[in-house]
Amino acid sequence: MSENLPAPDFDSQRYERPNQAWICGHAAEGSPCRSGPDNCGRCRATAECVPGLEKPAGESKGRWRCTRPGGACETGPLPDGSCCRPISKCSPVPTLRTRRGQLTRAVVTATVALLLICLGGSWRGNFINPGELSTPHSSAAFAKLHTGTNQSDSTCAACHKAGALGPNGLLSAAWRAKPGPFEVIQLAHTRPGEMTAIDEACQKCHPGHLLHQPNVVRDISCSFCHQEHRGAGPIAATTDAQCALCHGDGVSMAAAAATGASLQPKNGTTTDSRPAAGFTQVLHRFAEDHPEFRVHTDKRRDPDTLRFNHARHLTGEAMPMLPNGQKLECASCHQPNATGISFRRINFEQHCQVCHSLQFDPETPGLTLPHGDPSFVSAFLRSLPRQYADFAARSGLTTEADRKQFAQEKLQRLQARVASGEDFEERVFFSSATTGPEVQVGSVRGPSPALYPGCAYCHAVKSGAHGKAEITNPVLIERWLTHGEFNHARHVSVACTQCHAAATSKETADVILPGKSSCAACHSPQGGVVDSCTTCHTYHKKARPLR
Amino acid sequence: MSRFRRQFFIGIFLLALASGLAVMAHNRWNPALPNYAYFTGWVLLAAMILLALYNARKRLPFLPLGNSETWAQIHIYAGFFAVVLFLIHLNFRLPTGWFEGTLAWLYALVTGSGIAGLFLSRVLPRRLATRGGEVIYERIPALRHALRQEAEALTLGDQTKSPAIAEFYVRELSDFFAGPRFFWPHLLESRRPLNALAAKLENLRRFLNESERATLEKLARLVRQKDGLDYHHALQTTLKLWLFVHLPLTYSLMIFSLLHVVLVFAFSGGAR
Repeated sequence: MSENLPAPDFDSQRYERPNQAWICGHAAEGSPCRSGPDNCGRCRATAECVPGLEKPAGESKGRWRCTRPGGACETGPLPDGSCCRPISKCSPVPTLRTRRGQLTRAVVTATVALLLICLGGSWRGNFINPGELSTPHSSAAFAKLHTGTNQSDSTCAACHKAGALGPNGLLSAAWRAKPGPFEVIQLAHTRPGEMTAIDEACQKCHPGHLLHQPNVVRDISCSFCHQEHRGAGPIAATTDAQCALCHGDGVSMAAAAATGASLQPKNGTTTDSRPAAGFTQVLHRFAEDHPEFRVHTDKRRDPDTLRFNHARHLTGEAMPMLPNGQKLECASCHQPNATGISFRRINFEQHCQVCHSLQFDPETPGLTLPHGDPSFVSAFLRSLPRQYADFAARSGLTTEADRKQFAQEKLQRLQARVASGEDFEERVFFSSATTGPEVQVGSVRGPSPALYPGCAYCHAVKSGAHGKAEITNPVLIERWLTHGEFNHARHVSVACTQCHAAATSKETADVILPGKSSCAACHSPQGGVVDSCTTCHTYHKKARPLR
Repeated sequence: MSRFRRQFFIGIFLLALASGLAVMAHNRWNPALPNYAYFTGWVLLAAMILLALYNARKRLPFLPLGNSETWAQIHIYAGFFAVVLFLIHLNFRLPTGWFEGTLAWLYALVTGSGIAGLFLSRVLPRRLATRGGEVIYERIPALRHALRQEAEALTLGDQTKSPAIAEFYVRELSDFFAGPRFFWPHLLESRRPLNALAAKLENLRRFLNESERATLEKLARLVRQKDGLDYHHALQTTLKLWLFVHLPLTYSLMIFSLLHVVLVFAFSGGAR
């Protein structure tokens, strides 16, 4: 089917000019006029020639002569000097180039108009907003706090001064920016984390920039870590790279160590919760160069005076079953709090009493000593007749005589076991024995059960003024790692004993927290669990003393 | 190795090298330089201005600024490199705001239309050359008019005197000769419309006498010529139309980019 098309016949007088803006309307018919349209697209066709007036010497009128290119026409000019062959007018057609230019101009105009409308209208804030604000900074409360800071009633100007400016103001603000658009050297020399103008706005609501450690050597811009306009929800999480700006830099850490060494202990926080030089070890990743937890490096001991043996409670063969028939386990005492992050405080009534009854009379299981205040215990012991009588009443003896007789019988039996009331009170407070004197029953000889394993069985009891027993209050430390967060709820799939060496801990003083290696087994690239700084640490957290 | 092929391999090598270096520099400097985004932004703007200068160069042919072919090569490879710069400037993250989203879309459209134009300018001229003949785009309307006149003279003129051919022309071919036809089939290299017309001509042949058949042969030749003209029209129009997207959007992109610079510095102070 291939067939030669009409060959382009090149005419040096009438070749195509793609750069011209308009072409003759007759070109499509193959007969464009010679003059062609003007630059504005108007047809310039008049006639085939412009007759010339020939006026020989001596003649006054002269004669019109045809000047048509290619030869004079047959009829010649009209008497009035006009050409006899007028060319019909056409509607010039824009070339593709002209149409493209028209479209370009239209698009440019539309773009400028769109930008002017969007920048001048009430939706400017939304239009130039590079991304959704975090939830706290887009909340109704924030808007109420900063209402009217902007022409468009949005809250841009709460943080950005330029947010309240019009188009001219924006240009001016851009020109006056520090560093400015053309201050390339200053742009290059800016140190990471330098304070910027926007930090002033941050600190209007968040005063007190230094919430980190007292030995921080320079202020870090809020926006260095907290990048806004990254979407709804909490503000974008800080990355390890941002922490490594200081903690991965030896020079910064050395300066921080020097600053920390010169700090005076204040309110106990610097001596207790942080080392003298501060936390200045250069580190990059948790599993690699994060220091061991200080609770282990400092070989800290639990200061609690309450005697408790984790190993015996968990693995002791003689450990009785709980009333519900279950074996004692970690969760029997360590019960998660409402959030699940940590545990409810251990207390005697809920966690100990079920096994460690304060029964002092082996023959009267229902009557127990009060717990909590030694003076109450003393008062209880010194009013035993009354306590027995009340117990009798609670047990169903209704007459006074019965109750009195019940109390008398109990007292007589109790007195047979002790030397005196003082002796009994002393044994209640100070005895730590769980067995009594040896007895022989038939052919079997062995220790008898103690009348009562005294308060000193668990508590540190000392004799105070006038022989009064004084019991040291237990010190239950809720958190040991005060500079890191830990969420037990997220670790429920891991057995307690996998991290805490409770099964081998026999001393109260043992701090059975896991070491770094235990955490790094999972929280490392090898373990596959996130190991970023912010997994455990929060920058803006004051050091909490042990409690 | 031909000159074009050598140019192609050198260009690809330089593009890959520059892109690799840019990504390496990004990985090295992005975390360390606080004003990194400003630098990538300026470099990107410079690349965009270099790309836009190609159009200015075409408007100033009289200045000794190098030949247009060199500029075209620079425009192509710099355009691809600018895509890498653009992604680096975005930190390989999609923008979310209206303004920045529009800016990114404009960039994508300009780049996409440019790539489409490059593809068309590599494929369509080859197809035009294989079809035979050479037609100047601006003369296509005149040639079409001439073919139409010739066809009408052949079928409707006084000399023909063939009612069957005249009726056939009016019924089947008058619209075909009236203007450009079968744009998409030609673009998709389909000859189905021409074959359909040829089949109709062949059907008509059975009812004609010898002299009418000679006229029909001439008419069939004109139909094929008109189809070839339409083919050129379709492909050459496509070759020129992509610029109707690329150029206007480039101007729009430049306006948005300049405003972006103004906004970034006006709202600077914490911008990263």
